[in-house]
Amino acid sequence: MTGASARPGAGLDWRPAWLPEINLKRREEIAAWLFLTPFLIFFAVFIGRAMFAAVQMSFYDWHALRPSRPFVSFENYEELLRDDVFWFALKNTIVFTAMTVAGTTVVALAAALAVTQPVRQANFFRVLLYMPSLFSVGAVGLIWVWLLNSQFGVINYGLSFFGIRPVNWLGDPALVLPALSLTTIWWAFGFPMLIFIAGLQGIPEHLYEAARIDGANARQLFFNITLPLLRPTILFVTVTGVIGHFQVYGQPFIMTNGGPGRSSYTVIFYFYHTAWASFRMGYGAAVAVALAVIMAVVTVVQFLVISRRVEY
Amino acid sequence: MKKVLTFAILLTLLLPLSVTAQDAEPTPDVAMLGEGELNISYWNGLSGSDGVTMNEMLADFVVDNPDISVTSEIIPWNTLYAKLQAAFVAGNPPDLILMHASEVPQYASYGVVKDLGYLYESGGGWFPDEDVSAITYAGMQWEGTIYGIPLDNHGRGLWINIDHFEAAGLDPNMDQPTTFEGWVELFQQLTLDADGNNPTSDDFNVDNVVQWAYGVGNWPLADFLTLLIQHGGSMVSEDGSTITINSEAGIRALSQYQDLVYEYQVSPPAAGFDTWGAFAAGQLAVIPTGTWFRNFASTLDVNGQAWTTVQFGEQPSTWFGIHTFLIPDSLEGDKLAAVERLLQWMSDSENQVYWAGSGQVPALLSAQAVLDPENYPSNIVMGQSFTDYGFLDFKSTVTQELYAALDPELDAVLNGLKSVEDALNDGAERMQAILDRAE
Repeated sequence: MTGASARPGAGLDWRPAWLPEINLKRREEIAAWLFLTPFLIFFAVFIGRAMFAAVQMSFYDWHALRPSRPFVSFENYEELLRDDVFWFALKNTIVFTAMTVAGTTVVALAAALAVTQPVRQANFFRVLLYMPSLFSVGAVGLIWVWLLNSQFGVINYGLSFFGIRPVNWLGDPALVLPALSLTTIWWAFGFPMLIFIAGLQGIPEHLYEAARIDGANARQLFFNITLPLLRPTILFVTVTGVIGHFQVYGQPFIMTNGGPGRSSYTVIFYFYHTAWASFRMGYGAAVAVALAVIMAVVTVVQFLVISRRVEY
Repeated sequence: MKKVLTFAILLTLLLPLSVTAQDAEPTPDVAMLGEGELNISYWNGLSGSDGVTMNEMLADFVVDNPDISVTSEIIPWNTLYAKLQAAFVAGNPPDLILMHASEVPQYASYGVVKDLGYLYESGGGWFPDEDVSAITYAGMQWEGTIYGIPLDNHGRGLWINIDHFEAAGLDPNMDQPTTFEGWVELFQQLTLDADGNNPTSDDFNVDNVVQWAYGVGNWPLADFLTLLIQHGGSMVSEDGSTITINSEAGIRALSQYQDLVYEYQVSPPAAGFDTWGAFAAGQLAVIPTGTWFRNFASTLDVNGQAWTTVQFGEQPSTWFGIHTFLIPDSLEGDKLAAVERLLQWMSDSENQVYWAGSGQVPALLSAQAVLDPENYPSNIVMGQSFTDYGFLDFKSTVTQELYAALDPELDAVLNGLKSVEDALNDGAERMQAILDRAE
């Protein structure tokens, strides 16, 4: 007997007697942790451990196969600060990321607006436009090397009809980053397009109806309703885009091998060269850690700048 | 109008997809050969037509040795070395590796590959020490120990378009020039703009060239090292302690290569110019390439012929390398015996001649001697140049790292991004730091 005044619904309580009573908030917290646990285990084993190992490695003169790995303290980081190739690669990475994130966001938003119009076969076009995202970077790189080939490429062939002389897309230091960015925009705009489609479908229709009654045209609808209400989506797309494109590697590796000269060196490309081609794992780890820190700072700044104007 | 615009945008977005529909030559990345219980996993980087020849030979080997099967994995060289490192760290390397002799010091210094001295006749084995050139024999060693079994000599040479020569009134069997000026004169006759003018004409239009004489961008590193030695220079000082690429010889060598582009206008800038594609399309008269070009050349609709490397300096020289078999130190027992059988089979004179079909020059001198000029003209012409005046890569544990530092500097010069002096000084500084670290 538990007492004369039993709680309402007490009969539904399946909780064993030894388990203390838990309030709703606490239950929600436990549920959240249970849902998060598989990811946290995965993160700890496959990512967190690797991150810790990378930080640790960056303090050693570490060659993977060399038996001796002397501790060098901050020497790898000191060398990094003096390494002009690293800074040049970082500048390239920032330029590439800025161009690609801006381009991807604009193209993805335009595509999302187009395929959310009441047109026939809208789903067909959604699938078609998403298709490039399904390719591997290797396939995309090889395709675009051919398209952009200065002698035999389809793009230069098309331009020749307009009297434009062959453009050395991947051989001109001024054009190589835009060309890699163009390739990446074509390849990567599919996923943000899906995010924008979801964002557009979340905007209440009555806002548009009210504005139309007030005489707003399509341009005013876009700039005064669509764009402001898409700000959380834009924040998500740009933040994830910056994180993703900061790690660009496959495109320069396959399409230019970092050239001409070092014009398309990016940080991860340089990391590959130091760690996997020159086998300097310790210095490579320092490059990777530095990039991670820079990305974290950029992401925080993005949140601070963009989220100030975001309405959820 | 709206529909046309929509169609145009869609076409632009989807144009690249059409390329994926084109037929592509399948690359035999992994080939399972034979059904024998003893399986040899074998990694190599023969991703060109030489890989096809290698797999044909392996198919013959497993017929002769039915108890053995071979899993041959072809991986592009750069990726191969990265993957190999990971495989050694994981304790799971392949049973047999084909790599370049220039990599031997690095892997030997790590202690992960086997001392193969016992396979040589001088160590009581079957491999004929006396049947390879002294330079090849030396290439197998690091600090007095033999780590490799050589498969071939492969190196630089030229392929010329006979029709271009004859159209310019030149004899493709002429004596090759032996001076920079001689080569420039030859190249000027072979470079044509759309109106048929060559660079010696005032009417020559460099923006509308339909036939270039030469392509400097094919492999600038090997070509620079070749010219450097032709001018009496070297990459590293004799005692191995100082980088010397920015010597007077180095500056002359790279200036000459740069002048072919910007002074004499007989070669396009390096980047973005597809030399193999241009030669195949009849837009390039002379391609600096190598022994490996033989099978590709035979598939082209181009009347071609092999020449030896250009000579711009006072003495001839040409770069060459050695494809070398190495065995992981951990391999033992039946598998080791199976791998040894495979190596002995590959080193048989008859099979060495079969390997010449890949375009490479067999390592065995006895196999080189029986190549007939009718079927193996390029192997003979280039092979002779390797024997007469060929040089191997600088022998050190950081050779590839040194090259990785030099390569972008050369590329920058050949694309007009840096002066010769700046590039060689910057390259030398970076390379010196690498060399100092290795000591």
